[in-house]
Amino acid sequence: MSAEATTIEARVSTDRALMVDRIRHLAETLGIIAIAGALVLAFGLTSSHFLDSANVRNIFVQISVVGVAAIGETLVMLAGGLDLSVGSVVLLSEVICADLTATHHLPLSVALIAALAAAGGIGALNGVLVAVVGIEPILATLGTLLVAAGLAKLILGLRYLQVDHPIFTDLAVTNVLFNLPIMVAVMLGLYLVVAFTMRATPFGRAVYAIGGNRRAARLSGLSLVGITMGVYVIAGVLAGVAGFLNVAQIGLVSQNDGMGMEFQAIIAALVGGLSVTSGGVGRVERTLLGALMVGMMTNYQTIKGIDPPFQQAFLGGLLLAAVVADRALRGRQ
Amino acid sequence: MTSVRSRLLAKSYIDTWFLLIMTGALLVAFRIVQPSWLNGQTVQNLVIQNTPLALVAMAMTFAIISRHIDLSPGSMVALSGGVIGLVYTSQGSLPLAIVAGLGTALGAGLLNGFLVAGLGLNAVMVTLAAYIWARGLAVGANAGNPIDVGSGLGNVVNASWGGFTLTAPVVVVAYLLGWLLLARTKMGRYTYAMGGDPIAARRAGIDTALYTTAIFLLMGTMIGVSAIITVGQLGSAQATAGLGLELDAIIAVVIGGTRLSGGEGNVGRTALGVVFLSILNGGLLNLGLTDSYFQLYRGLALLAVLSVQIVVRRATDEEERRKREQEQLSAALAAE
Repeated sequence: MSAEATTIEARVSTDRALMVDRIRHLAETLGIIAIAGALVLAFGLTSSHFLDSANVRNIFVQISVVGVAAIGETLVMLAGGLDLSVGSVVLLSEVICADLTATHHLPLSVALIAALAAAGGIGALNGVLVAVVGIEPILATLGTLLVAAGLAKLILGLRYLQVDHPIFTDLAVTNVLFNLPIMVAVMLGLYLVVAFTMRATPFGRAVYAIGGNRRAARLSGLSLVGITMGVYVIAGVLAGVAGFLNVAQIGLVSQNDGMGMEFQAIIAALVGGLSVTSGGVGRVERTLLGALMVGMMTNYQTIKGIDPPFQQAFLGGLLLAAVVADRALRGRQ
Repeated sequence: MTSVRSRLLAKSYIDTWFLLIMTGALLVAFRIVQPSWLNGQTVQNLVIQNTPLALVAMAMTFAIISRHIDLSPGSMVALSGGVIGLVYTSQGSLPLAIVAGLGTALGAGLLNGFLVAGLGLNAVMVTLAAYIWARGLAVGANAGNPIDVGSGLGNVVNASWGGFTLTAPVVVVAYLLGWLLLARTKMGRYTYAMGGDPIAARRAGIDTALYTTAIFLLMGTMIGVSAIITVGQLGSAQATAGLGLELDAIIAVVIGGTRLSGGEGNVGRTALGVVFLSILNGGLLNLGLTDSYFQLYRGLALLAVLSVQIVVRRATDEEERRKREQEQLSAALAAE
């Protein structure tokens, strides 16, 4: 009888712990929404153009490329890794897609598949280097950053490739959601799918598990290699998709596309309140809020006529503020 | 006792031997591809071009051993250089400008140190933020244009004796001091202790906040000196100075056999890592490759070296383990 009582007690206490955990996550998400809301209010009150529907559309279009790349980056970071190759993969995907359609006149579907395969391939290479060989993620992905950028520039040379396929124009121009174009809908859709995957599937739970405690995850029978590979491949493919959106937005492919995007993606994830010290903590949908906050900051400063380099300096300050706030809220680990 | 000692030595030398062999292979490869490249002039050029890398990598060794990391050096070299340029332009005094540049680097090191050691924030995040804000300020300082500092500083930095400029002795002295600091002082021992187990180090009474800040200040000093040398060599402060310097420095430290998980490593092996990376970069640049091939080869070479290093390490670890198990077994049998 006492054993039964203990089980019930244990079950009640785990239920309570789960509840507390869920409430804490909800409170954190609400807190980040509140900060984003405060930013909207402050920017809206001090600038007459900020809340114009055309400007809101602009902000969403501007963040959609980084937003998609940041989904993959968030997954990698949740699993306790880091991916510096994101920006190069964006470039590689753009170049392959543009080169196959513009230079070799292949159908767009073939070009898209080839670009995604290359992007996923770089992701798989990251996965092998990190999970199988055992190189530190920051160094392995720095190596693949160089390899992917080198390959992309090798194909591109000194050209600018113009891409004027109607599908790309549609992505950036045709409105589907209020006055938001398809590319924004694509980004929001991807967030929905990945957020659901992370919550409701064994894969999502496994990513949190290996990010939280690698040893415990291995001992409980999870395949570290498989999950790490999966996370890096997803990050690669999503960076490839981000490349398509970038082509749609600019209509042109040039050498410096995607440069530094890995850092923008990391910043979006961090401002959204991902805990990187430990891995295994954080929510994909919060990265969207992070990307949105960064996008609003950049947009507001542009409206106010602040030079891009100083905007970058503010962005660094914002990242620091996010890290300090995270520490203040969560306490010392 | 002696057997344990010799085994430890043998194990720690594996990385060094491996690196020396790789460096030799690299030299042979470049020698075959471009026989004229390797001569006395090359060595001098490599030293002159890679002084900032060497200095920053020395301080990075401390940061990595203590289980921290610093991603800000590249941006900070540009920012400190920009301050030198701005102060020189407005005040016209070179010594004042140099002091201001050094002060900027040290101040940034102090800030990073305070945030990491005082507030207990993650060094990756803090220095990533610094990487971003410092580059923003450096580019914004003069709208991205170089700031001329006249020829006074250049005359000192570029003066050469027997082909070597002032930078060669600076690097040698920095590595000697770094070696002394790490191997012979309390700060060095505490650096290993903090990296080996930060909590145990704190419980053992080490003032981890103080020594962590000291490590970031050491980095600040090296950044300041690098900024002065860079500005002097070019005769102007460039907004793009030090681009990618931090990652190169980290690679040099890791190729030198120091692990990012902290607690081990030394300055001498970092020096070897710097030599390897300098030869790789210099040799590839000399081939007159386009940017694309340069990046591709560099990326492949780094991944190859890091992979082989780990495979070699794993093999020796495995051998160690087997030997230890056998010893335990024979000891147990003897006891019976």
